Amino acid sequence: MKSLWVFHVNTGACNGCDIEILDVLTPYYDVERLGVKLVPTPRHAHALLVTGPLTRQAYHAARMAYEAMPPKPRLVIAVGTCACSGGIFHDSYALRREHRESFEYPLRGGASEFLPVHLYIPGCPPRPEEILYGIALLKNIVEKKVRGSWFSESAFVLPRESFNAWVEVLLRARIRKELGYFDGYPLLRRFMELVESSESKEELEKLVQKAISEESDSRLRYGLEKLYSYYLEVVRTYESILAAKRALVRLPK
Amino acid sequence: MTKMYPFEPAEAPPEYRGIPRIDPVLCIGCGACANACPPNAILRIDDPESGMRRIVLDVGRCIRCARCEEVCPTGAARLTAEFEAATDDRRDHVEVVELKLARCRNCGRYTHYTERQVAKVLSLIPRGILDFDRVREKLPLCSECKLKLTVLNATKFGEGE
Ligand code: SF4
Ligand code: SF4
Ligand code: SF4
Repeated sequence: MKSLWVFHVNTGACNGCDIEILDVLTPYYDVERLGVKLVPTPRHAHALLVTGPLTRQAYHAARMAYEAMPPKPRLVIAVGTCACSGGIFHDSYALRREHRESFEYPLRGGASEFLPVHLYIPGCPPRPEEILYGIALLKNIVEKKVRGSWFSESAFVLPRESFNAWVEVLLRARIRKELGYFDGYPLLRRFMELVESSESKEELEKLVQKAISEESDSRLRYGLEKLYSYYLEVVRTYESILAAKRALVRLPK
Repeated sequence: MTKMYPFEPAEAPPEYRGIPRIDPVLCIGCGACANACPPNAILRIDDPESGMRRIVLDVGRCIRCARCEEVCPTGAARLTAEFEAATDDRRDHVEVVELKLARCRNCGRYTHYTERQVAKVLSLIPRGILDFDRVREKLPLCSECKLKLTVLNATKFGEGE
């Protein structure tokens, strides 16, 4: 198919996806390059662009729009996680959905609940490139990139040996509070590499000081200082518990 | 200038939250991600018949909030920078990691945790603080046997002294 005329229906979307569809129509992304045009009536449309998790109110209107389309090709494109599978609203009281066992997968909901969907574009909302990619996939311009995968008992790796693994778990909770997961976890990985590469306490102190002085981001400098002080705290605690246990064992019965 | 995108590759910015992936080499099957995931995009399915636990990630339900990355204790669940997830078949969105459940050392039935979880927990106990070998001896116990053991120990309390 050369050009695709689409009719957009919102079946209860939060508007995030609809705004991304507008983005795709702007000159910067310009989906009309691919022959896509938004039309004002389903009677002119080749494809129904569905966003939203399908509320009970929207169900009838969406159904009528679908039936008003010309019988061929009658494509349905689900844009956004909500339209693909119900998304964050999947268990809302306001949705129209069949009762299902919760352990079925792929998970269902959204547009696939009542229409045969030809293209799923997940994302909450999908960025304009994702929508462009989906349209290009429909027109066979690009290759499909995702594949389902099934791993069964492959190799297993424990990243660290006993003591450092324990330290890492304790530091992880702390650094998440200080910096959040996004900056904190990579910083913790960096710090644990320093710990593992250093032989003695003095060497670790030197390595940490060097890392702090080389770091340009002040939040990461703060994080490294905190990590080092927590690390010393954990080591001190461990040593004091160990000393207390040794003293207990030596006590005569 | 119009972006050329489908005709030339595009990259997401470094902080972009793309589709999540579970690394099967690191995952211990604890199910923390399944608990945390707001839209239930990750399921934890135990099969007591075959003794397997499946962690099922459905990218088509994921809202990319990164809660799974935040709670995963091993760093197995990570958001990638990939965003080209459109497909015509929802089965393409599913990633399954299947792991063995541990057997109870007392009655031989399957417990509610995986062998990898046991290995991970044992790897976390620093030497010298707990009696390592005694913990290892006790560890894979199903909840019923654990209950019985606790009751037994409670009735024995005070007999030794
Ligand atoms: S997928 Fe996300 S952005 Fe789109 S309608 Fe649903 S909640 Fe809103
Ligand atoms: S939280 Fe991490 S280790 Fe636990 S099941 Fe999920 S991915 Fe696997
Ligand atoms: S990013 Fe959020 S929605 Fe997606 S799998 Fe992880 S926890 Fe679930």
